Amino acid sequence: MNNKQVKLYQPDAQLKMGWFVIWREMFDELISSRELIWRLFVRDFLAKYKQTVLGILWALIMPLLMVGTFIFLNRAGVMNIGKTDVPYPVFALLGLSIWQLFATGLTACTNSILQGGSMVVKINFPKESLVIAALAQSIFGFLVRIGLLVVVFAIYKVIPSWSTLLLPLALIPLMLLTLGLGFLLSLLNVLMRDITYIVTLMTTFLLFLTPVLYPSPSSGFLATLNIYNPLSVLVTGARDLVIFGYMKEPSQFLSASLISLVIFLISWRIFHLVEARMAERV
Amino acid sequence: MSGDVLIKVEGVSKKFCRSLGRSIKYGVRDVARDLVGLSSKPGELREGEFWAVDDVSFELKKGETLGIIGPNGAGKTTVLKMLNGIFMPDKGKVEVRGRAGVLIAIGAGFHPMLTGRENIYVNGAILGMSKKEINKKYDSIVDFADIGDFLDSPVKYYSSGMYVRLGFAIAIHCEPDILLVDEVLAVGDVGFRAKCYNKIAELQNNCTVVIVSHDMPTIARISSKCMLLNNAQPIFLGATEKAIQRYFSSFEREKTNIHSDGVYLVVCDIKTKVENDEYILTTGEPLEMNLELDSEVDAEQMTLIICFLSSSGEFVAEWSSWFNGVRLKLGKGRQKFHISLGPLQLNPGTYHMSLIVTSENRIEHLLWVHNGWIFRIEGKRIGNAPYEIEGSIS
Repeated sequence: MNNKQVKLYQPDAQLKMGWFVIWREMFDELISSRELIWRLFVRDFLAKYKQTVLGILWALIMPLLMVGTFIFLNRAGVMNIGKTDVPYPVFALLGLSIWQLFATGLTACTNSILQGGSMVVKINFPKESLVIAALAQSIFGFLVRIGLLVVVFAIYKVIPSWSTLLLPLALIPLMLLTLGLGFLLSLLNVLMRDITYIVTLMTTFLLFLTPVLYPSPSSGFLATLNIYNPLSVLVTGARDLVIFGYMKEPSQFLSASLISLVIFLISWRIFHLVEARMAERV
Repeated sequence: MSGDVLIKVEGVSKKFCRSLGRSIKYGVRDVARDLVGLSSKPGELREGEFWAVDDVSFELKKGETLGIIGPNGAGKTTVLKMLNGIFMPDKGKVEVRGRAGVLIAIGAGFHPMLTGRENIYVNGAILGMSKKEINKKYDSIVDFADIGDFLDSPVKYYSSGMYVRLGFAIAIHCEPDILLVDEVLAVGDVGFRAKCYNKIAELQNNCTVVIVSHDMPTIARISSKCMLLNNAQPIFLGATEKAIQRYFSSFEREKTNIHSDGVYLVVCDIKTKVENDEYILTTGEPLEMNLELDSEVDAEQMTLIICFLSSSGEFVAEWSSWFNGVRLKLGKGRQKFHISLGPLQLNPGTYHMSLIVTSENRIEHLLWVHNGWIFRIEGKRIGNAPYEIEGSIS
């Protein structure tokens, strides 16, 4: 009997425990929710594609359209993208695939708790699982796009460097950042539904502020901005790794990774602190 | 917590906000206070807030079953949700030990697009079961739910009964130490309900059950104690029959509705004990009454009917003068009658009595006093049906 887990629910319980003591509990909870996260991922995956004809192809359509538009604008002379080290379609599709890991992930995470609303108010479970499962959707989309990239690389006869094998590692900071922001925004979204719209707007806007579809400018306003935009180096760093086999700005990448980690840890902590309030507001 | 106590609830309260706008404001403010490490002062009511559950305490040991009853909006489900940790209490504390099997709403966590089969795995995971555990119990779950070929259809094509079947089957198979059941079972058909209650009875030895229901016979059968909530407050906690009796008498009096078409009731003197405008009887007692009617019409013959209605408004027993072979004559002016009814075999609870006077053809209503009198029937037993038949078996 006594080995059974005792749960205590009381007001301000977490405040009484203090800001740091709780990490252990958070890790345990995360470990024990592996199964649930996987199930939620499978659930959302099946539900998402069961009713579509094109299925997972939808993960490819948006980046193809986007890159197509840019190629068209470039050729038509409306816009000057500048010189890229590899053929533009390869450059842009690779960048966009990495970007979308962040953008679709953030959108999915932001909506995850609201979408799980009926569940959240009817049963108690670690709500982190919903957010993480949402990111997993985005990771899956990324994997599908890798298939497309292989084809595009082959068409343009570009050979990725061996360091591409390190890409999964190089994407971890980006995913932590996505998850961190996702934790915060999913909570805020429960309180104020405006967040959904704001996130959609912001990801579109940020796409153009970040050197995803164009090479990093070396001077000017955008160059200055890129130094302060951790997304920039996280995306271009990962891309450089595939194309050149090394990162052009390793120290910047490292500091952006650290920032991401800190954002992730703080957001996770906040999420854990506040999640108990969400069921009342969903 | 010591010994076999699985649930301990101490002075628990929960507040809610009526207005959406304020709710958002308070939500943001509470979260902000949490973040900077300040208490959100949960124990105080702000403008527009009210206590949805006010100062509830109880303790349940392994093997005990608590029934929670009360009118709509009394806070029953909120208590359940606090036991599961869906809502945090604003005052007091809740301690629970062990895994909770939860059936607070029909198919919580079911995804409408997935098949029943797929949903079993999702729902099981939400309840904390591992894949191995689910695989092991899969056949048993399917067997219990008994929804046939629908198992491979998307859940959105299920009837609400099927939803409950599947949901309940999963919830009880997670080997709960604590089983929390809301009114959902009422949706299932009789056969399934019986199956569920048998299963709950089977689980009772090893776990603690908290059940919310409006179905008093059910509560009476499976609860070892019972809590009556009204307006967020626990009015009674203790023996189940007593709680149920309090529940029935706590209902507001049904409005008396008198329709007169030429005949008026002057006196109705019921020969039994009266308490707070309620006529008290014990199951099986006969009933005598004196009536005086004043008539404007000169009807050749009339029929007098006395009906008893359950607290949910259904007719459960009736006496008719015509059916008993009496042809009453009603002339103009006042007339007195004496009625004596045989043993009233109504099971304990609250009933309303109606008096009806019709013309001979029993089409025209000359007088209808609807829900005119409240009867509180006392007795030890809470039956399944309102009427108890006398009989013997050999």
